[in-house]
Amino acid sequence: MNKNLNNSRNIDMSSKQLNRRQKWSLDNVKIRTLSTAEPLAAPPSYSSQAVSLATDVSKKTDVSRLISKKSWDLALAPLKQVPMNLFISYMAGNSISIFPIMMVGMLLMRPIQAIWATKSTFKMMETSKAILQIIVYVFGNLVNVAVALYKCHSMGLLPTYASDWLAFVEPPLRNEFLGGGVLLH
Amino acid sequence: MANFRSIYKVQVFLTILIHLTLALYEDQVGKFDWKRSFVGKVKYVSLEARRIIVATEENVLASLSMNTGDIQWRQLLEDPNDYQIELLQVDKEILTVSGSHNTWLVRTWEINSGTLLSEWPLNTDQNIPSKFTVFEKKLYHIIPVTASHVEVTVYPLYDVNANQRKGILRKITAPWIKDSSECVVANSYFICLESNQLYFLNLLKDNADFQSRPLDSLLGSSLAKTVLIELNHDTPSVLLVQNNIAKLATIVENNISVKPFDLMPNAVKFKENEHIYQLEANDNRDKLIRVKAKDFQTGKDVFSVDLDYPIGLGAPIILGGQSIGLVTKLFLTTTDNALLLVHLPEGKILWTREEALSSIIATEFFELPISELDASIEHEFDGDSDIISMFTHRITTQINQLYSLLSGGQSRKNGVMVRDEFGLHKIIVVATRAGKLFAIDTLSGSIAWSYRLPNIQPFLSTDKKEEMLLLVQRTAKYYPLPAQCVLLAQDSITGLGVVFQFDPITGQSTKGIQRLNYKIVQAVLLPYPNKNLLKPFLVVSDTLEVHLFPKDSISQLKEHFSTTFLYIADPKRDSLNGYSLKYSTEDSLKLTPIWEVNFQPSNLVDVSAKPINEIVHSQGKVLYDRSVYYKYVNPNLLAVATVTPDPNHRSVVSVYLIDGVTGLILHSASHRRAKGPIHLVHSENWLVYTYFNDRFRRMEVSAVELYEGHLQSNSTVFSSFAVSQLPDIQTQSYILPAMPLKMTVTLTERGVTNKFLLIALTNGAVIEIPWLLLQPRFTGMPCGPEESCIPYMPEIPIHSETTINYNQTLSRISGIEVAPARLESTCHVLVHGLDIFYTRVAPSKTFDLLKEDFDYRLIVLVLVGSIVATFVTKRLAARKALKRAWKIFHKKDIDKKIEVMRICCIGIVK
Repeated sequence: MNKNLNNSRNIDMSSKQLNRRQKWSLDNVKIRTLSTAEPLAAPPSYSSQAVSLATDVSKKTDVSRLISKKSWDLALAPLKQVPMNLFISYMAGNSISIFPIMMVGMLLMRPIQAIWATKSTFKMMETSKAILQIIVYVFGNLVNVAVALYKCHSMGLLPTYASDWLAFVEPPLRNEFLGGGVLLH
Repeated sequence: MANFRSIYKVQVFLTILIHLTLALYEDQVGKFDWKRSFVGKVKYVSLEARRIIVATEENVLASLSMNTGDIQWRQLLEDPNDYQIELLQVDKEILTVSGSHNTWLVRTWEINSGTLLSEWPLNTDQNIPSKFTVFEKKLYHIIPVTASHVEVTVYPLYDVNANQRKGILRKITAPWIKDSSECVVANSYFICLESNQLYFLNLLKDNADFQSRPLDSLLGSSLAKTVLIELNHDTPSVLLVQNNIAKLATIVENNISVKPFDLMPNAVKFKENEHIYQLEANDNRDKLIRVKAKDFQTGKDVFSVDLDYPIGLGAPIILGGQSIGLVTKLFLTTTDNALLLVHLPEGKILWTREEALSSIIATEFFELPISELDASIEHEFDGDSDIISMFTHRITTQINQLYSLLSGGQSRKNGVMVRDEFGLHKIIVVATRAGKLFAIDTLSGSIAWSYRLPNIQPFLSTDKKEEMLLLVQRTAKYYPLPAQCVLLAQDSITGLGVVFQFDPITGQSTKGIQRLNYKIVQAVLLPYPNKNLLKPFLVVSDTLEVHLFPKDSISQLKEHFSTTFLYIADPKRDSLNGYSLKYSTEDSLKLTPIWEVNFQPSNLVDVSAKPINEIVHSQGKVLYDRSVYYKYVNPNLLAVATVTPDPNHRSVVSVYLIDGVTGLILHSASHRRAKGPIHLVHSENWLVYTYFNDRFRRMEVSAVELYEGHLQSNSTVFSSFAVSQLPDIQTQSYILPAMPLKMTVTLTERGVTNKFLLIALTNGAVIEIPWLLLQPRFTGMPCGPEESCIPYMPEIPIHSETTINYNQTLSRISGIEVAPARLESTCHVLVHGLDIFYTRVAPSKTFDLLKEDFDYRLIVLVLVGSIVATFVTKRLAARKALKRAWKIFHKKDIDKKIEVMRICCIGIVK
């Protein structure tokens, strides 16, 4: 009965996990001999049909295809964000106040953080063949950074003009010294 | 549309103005500003019951408190350069005669409040100095006409309709008479001393003539020069002073006789008693002055008292006095214009007033030295002490520093002069016309020290302007070296140069007064400090020889011979001359003329260089398209103002901008039908000047701004010789709806703060106008709040909030001095004249300082509260988490139990 229970619980899991599960159930259930005995009757309203259906689906999907699809989704997500970011930047306006600044900050920081975290993001995929996706992902984030920088530029936050460096211009040294005044008498 | 635009403009202006105007709150009055009032050098005095009425050379009538010497009321009469008080008579009311030459004003004043009771003019045909006296309610006006006659006009003073007031003129022939300086009025007699003859005239008698007595018959000898001095007495009497010995001459029934005893020339007498008071020098060093009272008839000493005379004061003379019973009060004035009230018979000095401060010629602000405690840390490496003692020394000083920090700072403790954190506590050293130096504390306005220099006087520069030179050789920054300052003036007798070197903090001088054997024409402080961090200075003599002080600084100067230039503006020849030190050698300094600009037939009125300690923070102006327009900041630039008489335009005011090194004229502008007074303010890359527009009869102010262009030719070094192209010049003029007396610009430590123009007006106010309001607008460029630009308005608005001295009217302002504080936002301002007013201005508000009314208590409370709340909530949260953890554990436990029980149950079922 216990085996059945285990099976029904972990029906869509891989065999490896099943073993683990069994290992785990080993800890739990000391009277193992009992489980090898003939199964008990299924609980009311328990259907084994559904289980077989699920296994069918899982069988149909190619795991690697699924992974690549998922990884492409992940890689294209930043690019999909670009129109939204553009719209938000357009709506926020060019005035310098706390909310646009916060927004621009987020706009700029998020893609940069995402680029830094690329490795950990693609670790989930568990495939080493996702180089193209990584490139696309990084590119998408860079596009987002560019959008944010353009926003900064249009808000006048980038030191691109000579006037932005004016405060650092040192006063010139004086070559000649002049002194004097009105003739006193 | 136009209407809408104007509304918009006004709106923009108002929004900007709200940010620019700075006014004082009522509770801030007197918090950091102070005002001291003066009356000037006293000419006439009258001691009344509880007050002293004084008439001064500043043409001021004032009442001083008998007990404290404070001013009870003060009335300012006309300009003292043109008018002078010639008579002060106090009876039930005060009578004054003031004026000059042929126009006189007779006024009566209420004694308690000083309000004007009556005023009538007195005109004569003769334009010569004259004498006045009052006798038996009649005013006698005596005009000596040279080598001809004496005109005596008698005016009735009271009970006369002002319109019908007419004088009775009488002419008395006197062919010997020269001028009024040799004549005195003694009671009802007019006495003159001319060519060893003593002439006297009884004014009361209608047909009296001059009677004469030869001087020999009175004094015995007439060889030495004799001077007449009047003496106040019922019997008409005068003092005849010969060889510093005075003889008393009295006139009894038209016969003059001389008393046999000798008196001092400073002897005086009051109406109330029969004593003659005189001052004598005393040998006792603690009590320098002795007051002697002599009997009028016999000349015998009645009593003598030694005075506790303060050491710093000059030689005194008795100006007036009052005797009530045994008590006599003497009113003294000194050669340095101080006023003293002496109480006899004790000889106690009741109070002293330093009236020299009413005529400040030169000022300089000084930072205070660091405290002894802070200084002691510098001694750590002084001796050859071992490491342990050095360590203990450091630890003890730092513990002391911590202690003094916690106990509320040192500067407040026992009033020591110690530098504060923000440089707000400074010392102002002022040189006065009387030749006395004062150091004034900026916090309290009290006199820290004073030093009297005998026989010195200021130089004269353009337009009778008096000038003394105060040069700062070393500031108090360089501990343990003391600060050093130099005063340059001229000897009042010979006109030769005088150099006085002193420590501005303590007022002590190591060298004393140095008298030079040449006249000083100009002096220049050089920016090349020697190994003692002392800046040397050059003195130019009247023969255009140069002298270096101190002489051993030549080694510093010789490296800069070719880059040191001098300019001298000569208002007599109306020329501006440039000199070089290039051809000097170590042994002989030589001024070589290199250029000259001759303004003739124009009159050179004023020359202005930039403040030497000014720092220009921003090198350019940001335009609307965010590009930079670089400023033309030429430290050698001079602004010269001239006035030219013109047959068509009456007079033309011209302003030139001249490079002081090369003599290159960079800009010139002229205003037709304009005249002075011209005030120049020269700072950074701009010049502001005011003049009177004769055509529209109004004051106008013009601003000139110089720009290099979009490219900076050399961003590291500025040289006047490297001229690639002339600067771009922007100008704009405005109407100034006020009469300026003096004008200057604020100065801050690093030049980041906005600039304000400080303008002293004739109505006694000192107003501040933002430079932004005057800055020339660029044509064809937008101007609005985004560009921090105020649209052009022809008339400069003067709001009452911009008056920095609020309701404290300042009279006869003669100068405004500014100095930066260590706090970038703040600038010290000293306005001097007949009053001294000190305040601090912050043109961009005190952006680097918390407001005075900042609620420290609230912020501390909130901080402490939030810290406590953090700890409490932390503890509570921890407790809760623990509880929950226990709960989960319990739950888990139960779950486990249930599972076990279930399995057991299954087993049992099986």
